[in-house]
Amino acid sequence: MGLDRRAFLGLVAGGTVGAMFTPIPWKLIDDASIWTQNWPWIPRVPKGQVDYVATTSKLCPAGEGLKIMRVAGNPILAGGNPSHPLSCGGVSALARSEVYMLYSPARIKSPMKRNGKTFAPITWEQALVEMAEKLGAAKGAVASISGDNTGTINEVLTALTAKLGSAGSFMMPSEATTAAKAMKLMGAQGQAGYDFENADTVLVLGADIFETWGTSSRNRKAFGANRPAGAKPANSYVYVGPTRNNTAAVCDQWVPAAAADLGVVALGIAWHLLKAGATSNAPGFDTFKAVVNGGFGPEDVKRATGVAPETLAAIAKALASAKAPLVVTGSPFGQGLGAAPVIAGMSLNMLLGRINKPGGVYMLPELPSVVPGALTRAAMLDGDLPAFLKGVESGKTPAPKALLIYDANPAYGLPEAATMAKALEKIPFKVSFSSFMDETAALCDLVLPNSLPLERYDDVATPYGSGFCVYSLVRPIQKPICDTKTTGDVLLGLARKLSIDLKFDNFQQVIKEKVASLAKVSGGFVAKDVMPWQVAAGKPAPALVGGDLWKALEAGYAWTMVGQAAQTSMGFAAEVLAKAVKAGKPATATVLAPYAQLRTGTPVTGMPCQDLTTVPDTELLGDTTFIRVNSETAKALGLKKGQMIKLSGAGVDCQAKVHIFESVMPGMVSAPLGFGHTAFDYYSQGKGANYLSLAAVVEEAGSGLSMWIAPEVKIA
Amino acid sequence: MSGHKMEFPITWGMVIDIDKCTGCGACMASCQTENNVEPQREASNKLRATSWMLVYELTNDKAFPNHDIAYLPRPCQQCGNPPCVSVCPVIATDKNENGGIVSQVYPRCIGCRYCVAACPYHVRYFGWYDPIWPEGMEKTLSPMTSVRPRGVVEKCTFCHHRWTQAKDAARVAGKDPDNLDDGAYVTSCVQNCPSGALAFGDIKNPKHKVHELVKSPYAFRLLERLGTDTQVYYISRREWVRKLGDNYLKSE
Ligand code: SF4
Ligand code: SF4
Repeated sequence: MGLDRRAFLGLVAGGTVGAMFTPIPWKLIDDASIWTQNWPWIPRVPKGQVDYVATTSKLCPAGEGLKIMRVAGNPILAGGNPSHPLSCGGVSALARSEVYMLYSPARIKSPMKRNGKTFAPITWEQALVEMAEKLGAAKGAVASISGDNTGTINEVLTALTAKLGSAGSFMMPSEATTAAKAMKLMGAQGQAGYDFENADTVLVLGADIFETWGTSSRNRKAFGANRPAGAKPANSYVYVGPTRNNTAAVCDQWVPAAAADLGVVALGIAWHLLKAGATSNAPGFDTFKAVVNGGFGPEDVKRATGVAPETLAAIAKALASAKAPLVVTGSPFGQGLGAAPVIAGMSLNMLLGRINKPGGVYMLPELPSVVPGALTRAAMLDGDLPAFLKGVESGKTPAPKALLIYDANPAYGLPEAATMAKALEKIPFKVSFSSFMDETAALCDLVLPNSLPLERYDDVATPYGSGFCVYSLVRPIQKPICDTKTTGDVLLGLARKLSIDLKFDNFQQVIKEKVASLAKVSGGFVAKDVMPWQVAAGKPAPALVGGDLWKALEAGYAWTMVGQAAQTSMGFAAEVLAKAVKAGKPATATVLAPYAQLRTGTPVTGMPCQDLTTVPDTELLGDTTFIRVNSETAKALGLKKGQMIKLSGAGVDCQAKVHIFESVMPGMVSAPLGFGHTAFDYYSQGKGANYLSLAAVVEEAGSGLSMWIAPEVKIA
Repeated sequence: MSGHKMEFPITWGMVIDIDKCTGCGACMASCQTENNVEPQREASNKLRATSWMLVYELTNDKAFPNHDIAYLPRPCQQCGNPPCVSVCPVIATDKNENGGIVSQVYPRCIGCRYCVAACPYHVRYFGWYDPIWPEGMEKTLSPMTSVRPRGVVEKCTFCHHRWTQAKDAARVAGKDPDNLDDGAYVTSCVQNCPSGALAFGDIKNPKHKVHELVKSPYAFRLLERLGTDTQVYYISRREWVRKLGDNYLKSE
């Protein structure tokens, strides 16, 4: 066990050491070794009273509730909160970083203004004056980008942008943006929520549900809870996708299929369900049936995707005969999927009668908004940022005069990086509110660092993928370490300076009002003894004891609600499917199959320094990242294990070494995301390549949505 | 002290369900910060990097599409018969405490690394460099574990400090510290794994879940043929995974 020096001396004094008659020689050797190890430059551990406080992870998109261990009031460790429905005690490698990232070398220590190629520190007052002046002049052409999918901060940001004359308020593209587009095309209301806890047979089309997709920690707890160690699992999961990724590794079956073919596979399964008599009253069913029967028979699917007819038939049979089947669709790397595959996957849920059912899909209503003039989440998710920036780059869309960037790093985290960088260059005044010196902040004119989640009020409202509405509080448990401010406060201060009325003086008030509004939502309750999935399964929801909600949230409990928004016209969107999903010829080019992992952080966090050790040396060695191909592909492309190669796509080149990994489909090059930063600190910078930059953006037929699900790459 | 099996009334054990492990690395990250292992800039040099918990990738060695993978998280196996203990010239490591956790006394370690070589599971790490945290980050060090200087060997302790805490908590609650409730003492990796792939408890205590889990027909230990009699068990329903747990000849 790890004894410290004092405890060890205690042992010596107790005379437990050694079989010698006299302890003196031992003591002398011991003193000598202690002396040699008593180096003043080795840090001492802090001392003081230990306590635990609750908050919610904001750095990790899975939104886990956290218990933070503090010593003398300073946060020390972030652990999962067993009473929080999105954690159930689990915590990702990224959420674990909430504490030590307070001291990340990449943190921006004060507001800064561009001065030629470098930045000079300025005061917050100067920053506000400068921003008010520039934004005032840019009125009518101010755009904003947010990378925060779950925060009420978006209400402040979009309301302010609107009052300044919006050129567009965008969300960084993610699974949530794709799904929102799909739901809109289907005429559905609400955000698709997946009740994994009550599902027994789950078909996962592409989505990396146990790593990056949605509420991944909760998804994994739900998966594990029905799989007692060593016993027969009470649920079954099939993964369809181009690689045996972290999700597929624990699923009962991996069905290799290209990410571009997920829609085809879904419709191929629909063909079997229809044949077995599945039907639906939803609008567009007849067209849907015609589309499926017209081109997605077993042989069509086999030709296009390589998936064997018996495999498809077996999946369809398992779904149809299950008590609580569920189909979930997403991108194997958390972004870039078109809307049609999501529609196709959702069609299966409709054919199986899984909408608004325990273990199925709930169309979760949006939580009430509190800032007047704010965009709804649905409206925000509707924007297409890559399309917008491509338009700006090509001159088709007028460049906004000013851009506000919140919790987003578009210069790194978007596909086709070269194009996006050119577009950003065209915008004359850019403000980043990043906490870390990321690639985008490095391009901006003003950098106004946001306090980190442990230093500010913030919130997490129903992350995409959650099977129930959920709201939890992020609260300051430590004073800002650097000269940073909560961006919500900065934006509200700016509004005041510009004489814009956003109703609130500070961001804490906004959050308080949000919580007050939740207390009035009927059906809402605090998840304590009863969890939302139990309510979905039929347990009565406990009553919400009014007035105490803020306290309960501060104590780390979550407000939740089960059920779905009223649907009037949720249909099959068969015309979109007809245009976008084609069982064509298989691709002959080499296709990039990226994968993402929470341990390499997000574009906003960079690589959390303690997570670098968790990266295997088959992924990063020295400063080079590896791509993965199977031996058949390696042979066809003439690649050898360990060989250094160059990948090209979208006008960008990336270096990589070759790792032979058999669980990648033939013709696919699997590549890790999250590497190749040019900004941040020495834990991120220069470590490998950013393979996302190789992905060219194309427009999806039928929906017009930007997608980059199967980018072609050249290898040299 | 060494060379022969020691029995203790309490035997802390970990049971790892390989079929649930996604290889996410959260256990490794949890361990690093729980136990004051410094962030390592050149962590990809695995011969020099320290990771008390390490997740290995196993494969069945078949080609696509019959290839399969599994992830094997590897803490210290806390052998009943620890090869590292018998080789330590200064008794800096020992197995002499109830609970069966193999100790490591840093101030006594002379850095000879015999134990590193002796451990068949590669759980022991030698500190090649001074531990350095980015400026200010030392404020987040845990007070529960000392910081080791370079030149000594360290390894997973089953988060021994948590046991001490659990015993204290039991005493305060008027309970028996030598008969802890299941779950009163769990390690950091076990607590935080988002898959619930890890379980921890007293293998000898019938009230603890692990007591039953180790009896599963799918349970195995690593390199059992060496007779190390480890306190870490693995569970997999996949036969090829269980087979990889030991060194079998091709013909076996
Ligand atoms: S945290 Fe759990 S799932 Fe992740 S690698 Fe460790 S044991 Fe496996
Ligand atoms: S038991 Fe504790 S010391 Fe051992 S691997 Fe787990 S977290 Fe690390």
